[in-house]
Amino acid sequence: MSWWKLLSAGAAFAILEVASRFKDDAALAHRLRARDPHVISALYDQYGRLAYSLIYRVVRDSAVAEDLVQETFLRVWNRAMSFDPERGALGPWILTVARNRAIDHLRSVDGRMSAGSLALDRIENPKLFSNFEDSALGIDRARRIQEAMGKLTPAQKEVIELAYYEGLSQTEIADRLKQPLGTVKTWARTALRALREQLSGMAIA
Amino acid sequence: MTCDDLQDAFELYALGALEDEERGEIETHLARGCQTCQGRLNDALALNALMLSSTPAAVPPARLKRRVLASFGIERSGWGWLGAFAAALMLVLALWLSVQERRRAAELAEARREAIQVEADRDRLLQAFAFLNQPETKQVVFGAGQPQPPHGNIFVNPSSGVLLIGANFPALPSGKTYEMWVIPTKTSAPRPAGIFQSTAQGGAMHILNGPIDSLYAVAVSIEPDGGSQTPTQIILVAPVSGA
Repeated sequence: MSWWKLLSAGAAFAILEVASRFKDDAALAHRLRARDPHVISALYDQYGRLAYSLIYRVVRDSAVAEDLVQETFLRVWNRAMSFDPERGALGPWILTVARNRAIDHLRSVDGRMSAGSLALDRIENPKLFSNFEDSALGIDRARRIQEAMGKLTPAQKEVIELAYYEGLSQTEIADRLKQPLGTVKTWARTALRALREQLSGMAIA
Repeated sequence: MTCDDLQDAFELYALGALEDEERGEIETHLARGCQTCQGRLNDALALNALMLSSTPAAVPPARLKRRVLASFGIERSGWGWLGAFAAALMLVLALWLSVQERRRAAELAEARREAIQVEADRDRLLQAFAFLNQPETKQVVFGAGQPQPPHGNIFVNPSSGVLLIGANFPALPSGKTYEMWVIPTKTSAPRPAGIFQSTAQGGAMHILNGPIDSLYAVAVSIEPDGGSQTPTQIILVAPVSGA
C-alpha cells in the first residue's frame, strides 16, 4: 500500500515530533480536568492536525473528517474527568478517540454497527491510558518501530493497515483478502511481534 | 486461556478489532487484576499510539480550529479575538473622536459668538466712555427713588447724541424689545432712536449717535422685535429740556 512507502520517507519527521510531544501534556491535562474551555485551543494546536490526518486517512472525506475532529474534541472534553493528569497519556488517548470516531463512522456506513461501537467505547476509556511509563513513547522507540514496519512483508503490512485504519477483525480481514482465517492470524501475529520486539528490546537495553 | 495464549491479541484488543471470544478472555484476565495482561495492554496501547501517530500528515482547513472552538462557545482563536477587539476599539475611538470633534466645533462656535459679543460690548463701553468724557455732555436722572419703572441716567451731548444707562429694566418676553425715542419739542412726535435689550440683571445701556438739534425728552417703550416707527407701549419718559 502506498502510504507505507510514504511513511518511511515523508512521515519520518512527523512520528518523531509527535513522540516528543507526548511528554509535555501534563499541564494540558490539568487544565482539561479544571474545565478550562480555553485549553481546547492549545489542545487543538497540539493534536488537531494529527487527529485530522488520522481521521482523514480512515474516512477519505475532508467534510466528514472535519465533523469527526469536532466530535473528537467534544468527547475528550466530556470524558476528561476520568483522565489522570499525573500518570495519563493524553496524546495516545486523544489519538485513540480520534481513530475510533473514524472507525465508528466507517462501520456505520458499512452497516457493521452491532457490538463494534460498544467495543470501541470500552477501549477509549481514559482510565486505560493511566499507566504509561515515560519511556514507552520515546523517540527511540518511535524510530525503531518505524524501521521494523519497513521490514514487514506486503501481506503483513496490509493486515496491519486493515486493523488500524479500517478497524476490521481478523475474520473480516480474511473475508476481504479472500484468505484463510489461519493465514491472516499468522500474518497479524508475526507483524505485531516484529513491532512489539522493538518495544521490549528497548526495555531490556 | 492462559496469559501466554493471549499475548499476541492486546494490540487488536486495544483497536477494538478482536473477535468476541478473545476479547472476553482478555477482559476476564484484566478484571481479576492480572498484572501480566495489564502490562501487555499498556505496551499495546503505547505501540498503537506510535503506529497511529505515524499516519501521513494531512492539512486541515484553517476554519476547522474556529469551528472546534465555536462548539465550546469560544468564538475565535487568539488573533481573531484580538482583531475583533482592535476593531471594536477603533470604532469606539472613532465615535469618541467624532463626538469630541462635534463638541469642539460647538464650543468653538460658542466662543466665537462670545468673542463677538464681548467685542461689541467693549466697543459700546468705549463709546460710552468717550461720550461721558466730553465736557459738554449733560446728565439727566430719571426714575430716581422708585423701584419701578426703571431708573438711571441719560447723558445728552448736542454734537454726539444721547446715552442711556439704566437699571431695573424688566426682562422682556421673547419677540419683544426695548426702543428708545427722542422727542425734540413739547409738541413733536417721538422719533425712533434705536432698539436695545436689557441684561439678565435688568441693566441697560443704549447710545444714539449723531448731533442733537433740540431735545425735549427721551422715552423708552416696549416694541415687537425690530422696533416700530411709533411707540406702542411707553414705559418711561424723561424730560431733558432743562439739561
